[in-house]
Amino acid sequence: MDITVQVNGAARTGSVEARKTLADFLRDDLDLTGTHVGCEHGVCGACTVILDGRAVRSCLMLAVQAVGSEVTTIEGLAPDGELGTLQQAMWDSHSFQCGFCTPGFVMQATAFLTAHPDAGEQEIREALSGNICRCTGYQSIIDGVLLAAQRDRQD
Amino acid sequence: MAQIAAERYTGASVKRSEDPRILTGGGHYVADLKLPGMLHAAFVRSPLAHGRVLAVDVEAARALPGVVAVLTGADLAAVTIPGQDPLFAMMGGGGPQPEYSLLATDRVRFAGDPVAVVVAESRDIAEDGCELIEVDYEDLPPVMSAAFALDAGSPPIFANLGDNILGPHKRSEFGDVDGTFAAADHVHEFHIDVHRHQNVPMEGRGLVASYDADSGVLTVHAATQSVHVTRMGIAMRLGIDADKVRVLAGDIGGSFGLKIGASREELAVAAASRALGRPVKWIEDRSENLAASGQAREESFDVRAAVSKDGDLLGLDVRMVIDTGAYPVMGTMVSGIIEAMLPGPYKLAALGFESTAVATNKASYIAYRGPWASETFVRERVLDLLAKDLGLDPLELRLRNVAPRTTPPFMMITGRPLVGVTTKESLERVARMVDIPAFRRRQAEERARGRYLGIGLATFIEAAPGPRSGEAPSGPMGMEHMRLRLAEDGIVVLFTGQMPHGQSHQTTLAQIAADEFGVPFEQVRVVVGDSDVVPFGLTGGSRSATMTGGVALHGARQLKAKVLDFASLLMEASALDLDIVDGEVVVRGDPDTAIGVAEVARRAASGQFGADVDTNFEVQASFDGGEGGWSGGSHCAIVEVDVETGIVKVERYVAAEDCGALINPAVVEGQIRGGIAQGIGAVLLERSAYDLDGHVHGLPAADRL
Repeated sequence: MDITVQVNGAARTGSVEARKTLADFLRDDLDLTGTHVGCEHGVCGACTVILDGRAVRSCLMLAVQAVGSEVTTIEGLAPDGELGTLQQAMWDSHSFQCGFCTPGFVMQATAFLTAHPDAGEQEIREALSGNICRCTGYQSIIDGVLLAAQRDRQD
Repeated sequence: MAQIAAERYTGASVKRSEDPRILTGGGHYVADLKLPGMLHAAFVRSPLAHGRVLAVDVEAARALPGVVAVLTGADLAAVTIPGQDPLFAMMGGGGPQPEYSLLATDRVRFAGDPVAVVVAESRDIAEDGCELIEVDYEDLPPVMSAAFALDAGSPPIFANLGDNILGPHKRSEFGDVDGTFAAADHVHEFHIDVHRHQNVPMEGRGLVASYDADSGVLTVHAATQSVHVTRMGIAMRLGIDADKVRVLAGDIGGSFGLKIGASREELAVAAASRALGRPVKWIEDRSENLAASGQAREESFDVRAAVSKDGDLLGLDVRMVIDTGAYPVMGTMVSGIIEAMLPGPYKLAALGFESTAVATNKASYIAYRGPWASETFVRERVLDLLAKDLGLDPLELRLRNVAPRTTPPFMMITGRPLVGVTTKESLERVARMVDIPAFRRRQAEERARGRYLGIGLATFIEAAPGPRSGEAPSGPMGMEHMRLRLAEDGIVVLFTGQMPHGQSHQTTLAQIAADEFGVPFEQVRVVVGDSDVVPFGLTGGSRSATMTGGVALHGARQLKAKVLDFASLLMEASALDLDIVDGEVVVRGDPDTAIGVAEVARRAASGQFGADVDTNFEVQASFDGGEGGWSGGSHCAIVEVDVETGIVKVERYVAAEDCGALINPAVVEGQIRGGIAQGIGAVLLERSAYDLDGHVHGLPAADRL
């Protein structure tokens, strides 16, 4: 069926089977391959995107369910090539290694910090506890989000 | 984190050059690739752990619109060369030779064993096609434990072998084992099991194979730790000349030992592309990854320890059994390394070691983060148990037994010199950081309140690269190669066979070369992931930092000497008086003379110099590991055990490691922390458990720490 979804500020159309996940629609139909698929059943969080302001797992949603919604993917965070505060803080903090989980963490943390700009370490740990990273042991990711929150508050 | 150091990049936590692309969704992983005319593969897998394949009916799948081909085990057997796992074969793969085909034909040997591959216009259609394939199986009794596999009555998993022994029993002795045990004050006996667990990188296996019939070249976009090992593996099993296989790799979503060489599914996809003359893509999904990609470390150890009444560990006698799973990959090869490493940094004077490796109806035993690491677990566990039995402090027992740092170096009883080992220092450091006496007081207080706190210590040495010794005349890890070039735009380009998958080589190797050659960090490029371009290499076995870091250093030095020789003509000065500073060639002490390296390179490329002037700014460098040496460290965990539920909470974890000079401290810390997290997960949360029928418990869950 033909669908139109607002993605990163633009109306994007596609023709999809009803069974196609939002993750596959973003990756295969729109070539937005920054959204990664790690487990396909909502456990790892690599496919997290922001849908109408909330972090959601795009592998657990069908593309047709996103009709009428506003989706932001990792590609929508720094469209002009300038890193945002969170991305910059994560770079400064050596947050990641292989990078496969990265878009999911960045989107999850972006949605969380937007809603909770005053969050401390414990809240950030809670908020990211549904995302899996196999490389880093998480500490550097928490460091990056904390640094971003701190910089945001200083601005 | 420190910013780029003013004087030297090496030793500073330089920000990773990989990160801008990774943080913006600009990484290029194999699943992201689309080629014109590309087809998609999905596998039909056995639901049984052990069974006979009586019939495979693929007609309905072949008739499904969008399905381009169905290749059964028999179809693939006709177009591939049977034999061992290519990596196993390249590493020498001895022992009994089980006979099997690429995909299952007459027998399935674990739940998840691939039986057929469906190739279709989309992955969804390929999976629909799999659903339409009917396989008629006859159950065979599964062999689900090493103990049963050792039983002569267990059904042979491979028909051409009379039993399930893949690594026949062998025994070695170092020192006077009988005499040591006879003279010991005490002999203690322990049984230690290491459970099966697995790599589970965030990205599973995957490839896009693209065969061009006109040129006969098979191009494979792979997720691999070595483009060359994968190239050679595909050539070996597809019967193609190795120079007709080109392997490319982009970003890789972790591996931890999983993605080396060419697995059965990857070979089947490559063969399908050749058969169809079109690109074929296969991206492993998570349930396939958990069931079929491979698992690690199911080993058991019966240990006898000879000790003096004062706590001197005099000798060990170890009997090891390895559960290699169904299709041998490397399970039969680890025992030799474990044997060599078992003494660790200790004075152990006698070691008896015997091992047997058996086949079972489980996923194959594969490499995972130091496949030999059970040597550390077994040795350190034995020391803790001995401390308990003898009523000694575990730290004191270790310090008492650590080999002294002497000249000439103390020799491990298994043969290698303990050069530069700092076990005593790292043990003392973690003990200080934790304040063990204070912990013991708190532990006693909490125990009185009904809380159960515990402390664990362990120490290890790692052959990274290992010492130079008589046994390894070509260097501790063989040779590492690199090609380096100064391009006409002034960029120093490093071509390496390393295939980073999280280790940050594009940053760390550039730091070393920038310092040594004399250019800003941003003026170095590290090229990886194209078997037509990079020299042979492999990211694995703890070799990259020392071996590739070493060749980057020596290569940059060679390239600089070449550039300065040429510049001496331009600048009418002796090369000995020239240096490269911040990207400019200068006469020492005369900054006004500076010429940018790009200008020097352009002049060299201008063709205006005679044949007797070397204007080729490219070098082939090699490094043999020099004198080598050991890395190592000590770890300490404080945990609380809920004695009602058995739940273990890690309260504190402290590590002190000696890696020599750090290239990039933030990268090193990231590696250590990530390893600790996986270790905790492996021990407490991630057992790959099978039920008695041979199904993996808990599929398709992907819960990992």
